[in-house]
Amino acid sequence: MTVTARRTLILGTLGGSLGLLSPAGGARAQQMEPQRAANFIRTTGQELVAAINADGPVPQRRDRVGAILRQAVDVQGVGRFILGRWWRTANAQQQQEYLRLFEEVLIRNLSSRFGEYQGLTFSLGRSQSRTEEDVLVSTIVERAGSPAFGLDWRVAEVGGQPRVVDVIAEGTSLRLTTRSEYSSVITRNGNNVQALLGAMRQQITQLAAREGT
Amino acid sequence: MIATRATQAAPGLSRAARLRSVLGLALLVGLGACATRPDPTDTEAVAEFRANNDPLEPMNRAAYFVHDGIDTLVLRPAAEIYRVFLPPEVRTAIRNVLANLRTPVILVNDLLQGETQRAATTTGRFLVNTTVGIGGIFDRATDFGLLGHTEDFGQTLAVWGAPEGPYLFIPVLGPSSPRDVAGFAGDVAMNPLTYVGGETVDAITITRTGATALDTREGLIEPIDQVRATSLDPYATIRSAYRQRRVVEIRNEPTGAAATSDLGIGSGIQGLRR
Repeated sequence: MTVTARRTLILGTLGGSLGLLSPAGGARAQQMEPQRAANFIRTTGQELVAAINADGPVPQRRDRVGAILRQAVDVQGVGRFILGRWWRTANAQQQQEYLRLFEEVLIRNLSSRFGEYQGLTFSLGRSQSRTEEDVLVSTIVERAGSPAFGLDWRVAEVGGQPRVVDVIAEGTSLRLTTRSEYSSVITRNGNNVQALLGAMRQQITQLAAREGT
Repeated sequence: MIATRATQAAPGLSRAARLRSVLGLALLVGLGACATRPDPTDTEAVAEFRANNDPLEPMNRAAYFVHDGIDTLVLRPAAEIYRVFLPPEVRTAIRNVLANLRTPVILVNDLLQGETQRAATTTGRFLVNTTVGIGGIFDRATDFGLLGHTEDFGQTLAVWGAPEGPYLFIPVLGPSSPRDVAGFAGDVAMNPLTYVGGETVDAITITRTGATALDTREGLIEPIDQVRATSLDPYATIRSAYRQRRVVEIRNEPTGAAATSDLGIGSGIQGLRR
């Protein structure tokens, strides 16, 4: 496999798994300090890389990654953003189930590819820029023998804490891409949110099977 | 033996037949129906319909289906063979040569967009890589701090204010738009070899086109596998990724990544370039 392909692969999947993220919309009045956001990303990134590269069985590492993501990602806000207009058409039970599945997809997307991420290192990029609602922190992800690639993290203040709300890989926001994907699944199944939940369950089963190999 | 061959041939035949019927269907759908417009009173649905910019969705989905079949049967296997038979160093050299051959078109588009700084970088890259890089085999310009970027006439048209037009999915070529199709034609027109006849030139053009196709698809093996494996709707994922990415490319925003796709028409999830 070429260096380029590998880079793209890692980028795509890192983005794919971490990138399903976003603000819940609305209450995001507080301003985030760029330096604080950068420190938060540095710490979270190091924790994540350490968990991925740790020794030990996959389920144990997955639990650790799950704990880090729950802490670092605004799972609820991002999940709601991605479901978008369908959030209100879903009943309370479907909303709960959706958020649970969404978190699981997030974690399993990473844990199914632990092998490929071995030896990953992570450093802050040159720029941190503030937008109206959040801070964009650029990072550089490297693997031995591979050229570096950039990954941008959108960090917002949620409940007084910095949280990741989006990951942008090569100009593609994963929360926007996922929103389009989920909405398309619902629309094409007669505007039925239940169809999305079924597809997500199936996806988790598939990811779990990949983890085992 | 004969029986075995017959049973083996059957799926192939039915596949071809299916392909034909799908092509027919695509034509019918393309001529006839557009995507069902949402209820005009449902403002969010209308907003989403506009944001997706895909009024020809049924036709595009049929085209995507056809493309997916061709890709599975021909394009991806060809890219796999290319990867298996050529060592990484050779593939990198080919990639570098192709990128260098494309530099004049990038330069013209830099200039058409009034990007003098980027035009200077492109010129520098071409001079360094053609000489020190031995005909573009080695990307020495990057060592001198001259990082590559892409431009194409589709981006130039966008900078000039041409509208994007509805999203299009074209079998083999991938996601696009009327503006990017026009841009693709413009880039071909900018290539001096387009106007030179002769068997040698034709052979060069064919070789170059083939190499570009193989190189592009090879770089996309994993990302596309990944989308196919994990997206709940690969068509929607590719549409969203392509359109977001074109916006960034048009604005020349730094993406934290090296120069990317060579073509205005592409997957939208193109691999990084050296």
